[in-house]
Amino acid sequence: MVYLFQILNGLGLGVIYFLLAVGLSVIFGLLRFVNFAHGAFYMVGAYLTYEATRDGASFWLALPLAALGVAALAGLVEALLLRRVYKLDHAYHILVTVGVALVIQELTIIIWGPIGASVAPPSSLSGVLILGQFIYPQYRLFVIGFTAILALLLWWLLEGTRLGALVRAGSESAETMALLGFDTPRINTAVFALGAGLAGLAGALAAPIRGVEPFMAVEAVGVAFAVVVIGGMGSYLGALAASLLVGVIQGVMATLWPQGASLMIYLTMAALIAVRPRGLFGRA
Amino acid sequence: MLNKPLTQFLLACALALILPLALKSGVLASEILVYGLAAAACNLLLSYTGLLSFGQGVFFGVGSYLAALLLTRAGVGAPLSLIACALVGAALATFVGAISIRRQGVYFVMLTLAFAQFFYFLAYTFQDVTGGDNGILDVPRPIIAGRALASPWSYYVFVAVVFLVLFAALLQATRSMFGRTLLAIRENEERAAAIGYPVKAFKIAAFALSGAVTGVAGGLDAMLIGGAPLSNIEYHSSETILIMTVIGGGNLIASLLGAGAYLILGDLLSDVWPRWLLLFGLFLIVVALFFQGGLWGLVELAARRSERADEAEA
Repeated sequence: MVYLFQILNGLGLGVIYFLLAVGLSVIFGLLRFVNFAHGAFYMVGAYLTYEATRDGASFWLALPLAALGVAALAGLVEALLLRRVYKLDHAYHILVTVGVALVIQELTIIIWGPIGASVAPPSSLSGVLILGQFIYPQYRLFVIGFTAILALLLWWLLEGTRLGALVRAGSESAETMALLGFDTPRINTAVFALGAGLAGLAGALAAPIRGVEPFMAVEAVGVAFAVVVIGGMGSYLGALAASLLVGVIQGVMATLWPQGASLMIYLTMAALIAVRPRGLFGRA
Repeated sequence: MLNKPLTQFLLACALALILPLALKSGVLASEILVYGLAAAACNLLLSYTGLLSFGQGVFFGVGSYLAALLLTRAGVGAPLSLIACALVGAALATFVGAISIRRQGVYFVMLTLAFAQFFYFLAYTFQDVTGGDNGILDVPRPIIAGRALASPWSYYVFVAVVFLVLFAALLQATRSMFGRTLLAIRENEERAAAIGYPVKAFKIAAFALSGAVTGVAGGLDAMLIGGAPLSNIEYHSSETILIMTVIGGGNLIASLLGAGAYLILGDLLSDVWPRWLLLFGLFLIVVALFFQGGLWGLVELAARRSERADEAEA
């Protein structure tokens, strides 16, 4: 029974990882682009939530504001910088996104200082839920439910709408799309903003759980990449399964062997890619 | 002309001689050679084989730990410790390489990054061996022929000798049949395979050589800073080595320039402004957008200009 509780805890982490990883995966799928600034967008989402709630705004307003703010920032970065390097080697993708991540990290320290801060969950969700002998924070339950609904919407967006069809067609052959007269640069910007906006939303949701600090980006990039590698790159279902798996591993390890929690994630990943390099749901 | 292995070697010798004249700090000068070596090994994969490895910090960090352990706990001498670093670096790189090359392009990059994270958390978790956050402390500088190389500049001489030997070995590898085959793989992997080259074996061998040299660089670093910190095996270590390589450019001597520019720029800027990484981030963006040949591209451009000027005069 103790494990049930840990698994529930893990799912709470997992859904946040899902938002992070699916954003990375969507960007990767369409743009074939490794985005090392992804963690920085997650961090900005968290800090925007911190700033808005500190200034007295309601959390329910801060949440969409943070996601949209990050999406706008990312759209700008894509249009000004990233689209110039798509055609170049991956080395330059890494160079430019590491550069962007550094600039964002340092600006964050300049604006908000080097020391972290905590963010209060919305007052309506600050209580706990008592289930028999278990106590579970209401806010975490909300995060799980909210993300579950969002995951369905996202799935519909990517699989059931015209935008989703364009994204999938673009990742098959961007050239054909351009020849057919689609405005691929605009689709690229939109997709990058969507992916980064999801990272921003993940950061906003994570802020009341883990607080904010200027180095939260690195940790997030690591986990998001691990999830994408485990799940299979460019796969929606893979990102979902892998993020929940990673969250549950972390939750269960927290009681078994807290120090080795992260190691176990990467051990799982290493074992999986040794057997199945494409990941759980990746295409060969 | 500038790209010839002999020219590159002579340039490396010249730079190793100039550094003590140009820099005040023997530690900084040694650091440039240590990271220059690691970046050159990374470039053997990037520019000569077409493999972008985000896992070079694994070999660097393990080299640091191994040298530190052998020197402080086993009482093994410096030369033997460095040979051990090379062997273990090669073995580890064979393992990481063999698994990672099963995927290509961006997937390959992600797999090497995944390994970087895995080994970092391995080091972080097993603190009994690695000393956790503190790392392994009190690593001595080497004693060669009865002389302790305790001062920074005397140690610099030792680093410079090791650097030049390994740099020459890397250059020799690139001009051999082995190196030419790697270039063929980089240019067109399918064609190289169709001709009958065992492409995978060549890639793994390139990894092993790169890992061996990087392992030695890590060992040299442990003796330089007097310890093996956890940060040497962190994701940032891989990132740093890769960034030095890319801002350097497309051949082995360029990697030394990249490492030098990175470290000297960091040294200067960090004195001026604690938030210097902001400027450094902008620098990386500018290089990616406008100077894709890296620093070496600028050197070549300057050389071509002066050649043309000479022709015009004649």
